[in-house]
Amino acid sequence: MRGVFDWLDSRTGFRAARHHLLDEPIPSGVGWWFITGSILLFLLGVQVVTGIVLTMYYVPSPESAYDSVRFIMDGLPFGALLRGFHFFGASFIVVAALLHLVRVVMFGSYKKPRELTWMTGVLLLLVILAFALSGYLLPWDQKAYWATTVTINIARGTPVLGEHVANLMRGGADLGALTLVRWYSAHVFLLPAALIVLVLSHLYLMRRHGISGPIEPVAGPAKPFFPYHVLKDTIGMAVVFAVLLTFVFSIRVPLDAIADPSDASYIPRPEWYFLSLFQLLKYFPGPLEPVATMVIPGVVVGGLLMLPFLDSSPHRHPFRRPVVMLCFGVLGLAVTTLTTLGLRDTPPEAASQWTPMAIAGQALAADERCQACHRPGGAANPVSELRLRRDPEWIAGHLADPEVIAPGLRPAPPGGLQPAQAAAVVQYLTLARAGAQPPEVSVEERMAATAFARHCVNCHQIDGEGGAFGPDLSHIGQTRDAAWLRAWIADPSEVDVLANMPGFSDAMSDTELGVLSDYLAARK
Amino acid sequence: MSNSSDSPERRKFLSGVVATIQAAIGGTLGVILGGSILSPGFARRNENWLDAGRLADLADEIPTPVTLRVARQDGYSQVVERQVVFLVKSGSDVKALSSTCTHLGCRVSWQPDTQQLLCPCHGGVYDKAGAVVDGPPPEPLAVLPTRVEGSQVMVQV
Repeated sequence: MRGVFDWLDSRTGFRAARHHLLDEPIPSGVGWWFITGSILLFLLGVQVVTGIVLTMYYVPSPESAYDSVRFIMDGLPFGALLRGFHFFGASFIVVAALLHLVRVVMFGSYKKPRELTWMTGVLLLLVILAFALSGYLLPWDQKAYWATTVTINIARGTPVLGEHVANLMRGGADLGALTLVRWYSAHVFLLPAALIVLVLSHLYLMRRHGISGPIEPVAGPAKPFFPYHVLKDTIGMAVVFAVLLTFVFSIRVPLDAIADPSDASYIPRPEWYFLSLFQLLKYFPGPLEPVATMVIPGVVVGGLLMLPFLDSSPHRHPFRRPVVMLCFGVLGLAVTTLTTLGLRDTPPEAASQWTPMAIAGQALAADERCQACHRPGGAANPVSELRLRRDPEWIAGHLADPEVIAPGLRPAPPGGLQPAQAAAVVQYLTLARAGAQPPEVSVEERMAATAFARHCVNCHQIDGEGGAFGPDLSHIGQTRDAAWLRAWIADPSEVDVLANMPGFSDAMSDTELGVLSDYLAARK
Repeated sequence: MSNSSDSPERRKFLSGVVATIQAAIGGTLGVILGGSILSPGFARRNENWLDAGRLADLADEIPTPVTLRVARQDGYSQVVERQVVFLVKSGSDVKALSSTCTHLGCRVSWQPDTQQLLCPCHGGVYDKAGAVVDGPPPEPLAVLPTRVEGSQVMVQV
């Protein structure tokens, strides 16, 4: 074996390289503060490997992107964990990069002769943020779509070139397929290339000038990098990895409903690390907006890049650099405050979206008329496996008249689903596609919801859904009890001769009448 | 650099600690990455009973190709896969032969003049019961489970 290594060494010189890489003498006093860079490098490595595996399953097209991410989350063993690492890893990297930056600023490590090391570091921070921003769009869910819309509109505010910048980012006049592929390309080719070049430059420069070390030299012998400092790095990585692992295993990475450009109700929110910028926008409305989108970020980035030249004194101790410390203190405070305000302004996530209509939609879609085609080996995929590809109008037409190729071309024959019932099915299919597990509901509740969807929903509303022909039944239990409701539904003319609602005693079984009136009476 | 806090033994011990921790991290990541990469290879197909047509329409003792449509999940997408099986009726009994040659997976076809199933790739020949007559196939054609429901032939694929 030794002979093989000797031969390899004689051809490659790997032993000398290893010696050069690992045996660098580290001065005394280089302590735990100096592990932040290694942790950052480690986290970047995790992103690279998890990202590579994700590309084996991810498809960058609007038709498939969402479903491929849904497949990673639900269909692929270990897939949810894989995406968890990549998702939370991104946040960890932002934190680690900021900690590394704070460490360098506190220790005055950016000073001569390490100006370029610092500048490559600032560029790396920008690359990391660009990674985060471009990674956002890829799942093609609501958050992806709307956050990117906002980002591109911010870029459009660039003086003079705005529209060109926006077109460059979109790959055309609209956010769509071309945008997705170009952001994907940036995320997996352009940015990694920039990352590799910058990381190598950063490391090369770090080695060229040596580690900056403690502010005041500490007496004592220098020790080799390996294993002494590497041990500290490794322990740091293990701790960070353990925390990351905890996040990955305990929190499921969110995936909103699929991107819907027609949805006006969605409130886009950026990830927490862009929240301060997002919040800043609120204080500079109208023509002042470029102050928040261009001027302030530009001044901060420019100031960061030029820091070694703005503060060119040789003093490294924080107390000897009060202006720099004050600037970073104010910057840190501002970012923290804005982020906190942004978090506070975040509207709570809508609770369970499984409305009675969605539950009824599930029951309606289980109808045997649907199963005639939507079954294993049938003309179409089983309903439970359907990946909704059509718009709600098409589905409503298809449910009213399943046989026609282009729904709406002919008047629907009787027997199909009514518009409000179709809406219930669409709601169910939308939720199912977003991976929402149907809630546990009692047999009675399901039966009542289904009876409501079959017979009542075209005229009556519950929770804002349904027809407006008859009264809203969301809180009918406040004024009517179950016995009255039952009698009324069975035959309204028995209760009131002027009633203009038809009776349902023939259309519904006794059990259905019972559970439906109980269900409505319980709606207080 | 040869004082007491930098002895070769200490270095060796610390190197071991470093290697152990890094191996633990790498191993954990490896399980998740490896699992994600390899797991689709272990996935099993769902088996479905499909309607393959009427028993009365089949000629006796002549393999009839029938195309079955199977809608199935293909990774993130849904595809309708078309599978050809040969149905061979003998009296009231029916047998379904896979059309996939057991040699290298090409598609066999029925030759009415020779009354044999022929694989176009390397000349594998099977008789109407699926047994190998000639050529490289190592095994007879696979037989798929069948049952007759009323007048319909059902095949499990």
